[in-house]
Amino acid sequence: MRLTEFMRDRLTAYLIYAITWVLVLIFLFAFHVPAEAVIIVSILVLLGAVAAELWAFLRKRSYYDKLVSDLSQLDKKYLLSEMLDEPEFLDGHILYEAIREADKSMCEHIAEYRRESSDFREYIELWVHEIKLPVAGLQLMCHNDGNTRYNEQLRRIDEYIENVLYYARSGSAEKDYIIKPVSLKRTFGEIAVRNREELQERGISLSTSDLEAEVMTDGKWLSFILGQLMSNSLKYGATEIIVTGEDFPDRTVLHFRDNGIGIPESDLPQIFEKSFTGENGRTHNKSTGMGLYIVKKLCDRLGHTVEASSVQGEFTEISITFGKNELYKFE
Amino acid sequence: MKKIIIIEDESALRDELAVLLQNAGYETVCVTNYDNVSEQMKDADADLILLDINLPNVNGETLLQEFRRRSETPVIMLTSRTNEIDEVLSISYGADDYITKPYNPTILLLRISAVLKRSAKNATVQKYHEAEVSTVKGSLVRNGTELILTKNEMIIFQLLLDRMGEIVTRDELMTALWDNDEFVNDNALSVNISRLRGKLAELGYPDAIETRKKQGYILK
Repeated sequence: MRLTEFMRDRLTAYLIYAITWVLVLIFLFAFHVPAEAVIIVSILVLLGAVAAELWAFLRKRSYYDKLVSDLSQLDKKYLLSEMLDEPEFLDGHILYEAIREADKSMCEHIAEYRRESSDFREYIELWVHEIKLPVAGLQLMCHNDGNTRYNEQLRRIDEYIENVLYYARSGSAEKDYIIKPVSLKRTFGEIAVRNREELQERGISLSTSDLEAEVMTDGKWLSFILGQLMSNSLKYGATEIIVTGEDFPDRTVLHFRDNGIGIPESDLPQIFEKSFTGENGRTHNKSTGMGLYIVKKLCDRLGHTVEASSVQGEFTEISITFGKNELYKFE
Repeated sequence: MKKIIIIEDESALRDELAVLLQNAGYETVCVTNYDNVSEQMKDADADLILLDINLPNVNGETLLQEFRRRSETPVIMLTSRTNEIDEVLSISYGADDYITKPYNPTILLLRISAVLKRSAKNATVQKYHEAEVSTVKGSLVRNGTELILTKNEMIIFQLLLDRMGEIVTRDELMTALWDNDEFVNDNALSVNISRLRGKLAELGYPDAIETRKKQGYILK
């Protein structure tokens, strides 16, 4: 708050003071008060007014300057009301109460949405567990009846169900994962065996190398991530999938490479965006633009980085980098 | 015959699971009353327990924890809960394996037989006719002659041996190989089987593996 700003704000009051003083002068002269007395009274009144204005300016300045600097330092601006001191002057007091009340009501509002969203997520989790029972039942029935005709459709249903579950999990604010050492080889093996029939039907060859490393991650989440990558390779015409691990002192990188149709260079920066389907999405109508988006979100939450590189018509390679933070090990 | 208790409250799933296990040559006991599951687990004197986590009135993990204080019988958790927390808890409470629904029935059977085999620690050395089978060394020994099998050949031979005299489908063999991180294709499987045949013939067992057209193989 600057003095000039303050004075400009008070201009009307000053004008009223000035007019009043002119009237007082007229009166004083009308009553033939000596000029010396008029000057002394004028000086006293002026000094009083300046002192009063200065006091009003300084107390407001110290309060509002602190408020502005607090606000600019705050990462989450809505926390301002928590840091606000109660001002002594009336208009500040009114404002303070108003901010507190608005903030409280906002918190309640947010809490309500948070509750709703977490209720919804809980329901999704529950629903997923429930829907998996009939799917598991059907799968067993098919096997017991010696019928393999429905396997592919069942596998697809299961995949879409997992998508919903992990979409809900990826957006949740709660920490619902466990970071522990997970074997890359074992996790990939599970995904491979789950997709074996389709891979073999399409004559896709799988090869792995250097997957002995263990990475710090949530096993189930990683399993979903690899399942998504596998499902993309299956969708986009791969005949060969190569999975390799690369171990560095501070990180482990997993490369998931296929020789499918690839991704056009112009689409590459956007493939992790929500609902982005790009050119391949237009030519392959199975694309929803959600798979890689969920993969990215899960990686972000787990603290892994995920990158893609591709040459159209040659290959697509998704690389996931797992950090080797020693701190993790104490969890 | 090995006895397996199925503790699963979804009746359709339970019945199909029982059929699957019976077809695979196990005796099954289904728990249908959930009031005193832990007593039933103890009294049934089974070789293996398949335990669901979500049960009426009771949690499978709690049951497992209680059960482990008194018994070493292997337990496989079967659940539709796919989160790491449940798996870590179950394993720390002493589960021998944790399988999420929906499961590939062939893999389920492989896991069951693996757990059973692990629990039979002091079992006699597995034998194929006069030959001793060493899974650890991956070899067959007959009259002092040792024959080394490759990893793939051993996986195939092991599965055929476990179900000697029964038809094992190519699909099952393939699943077993893939479950051991050997991502072989159809041709490679045929090659491995013919090599295995050759090796068995060297040991003095010609025609040990019989091919059943469109069905699979039988070890005799």
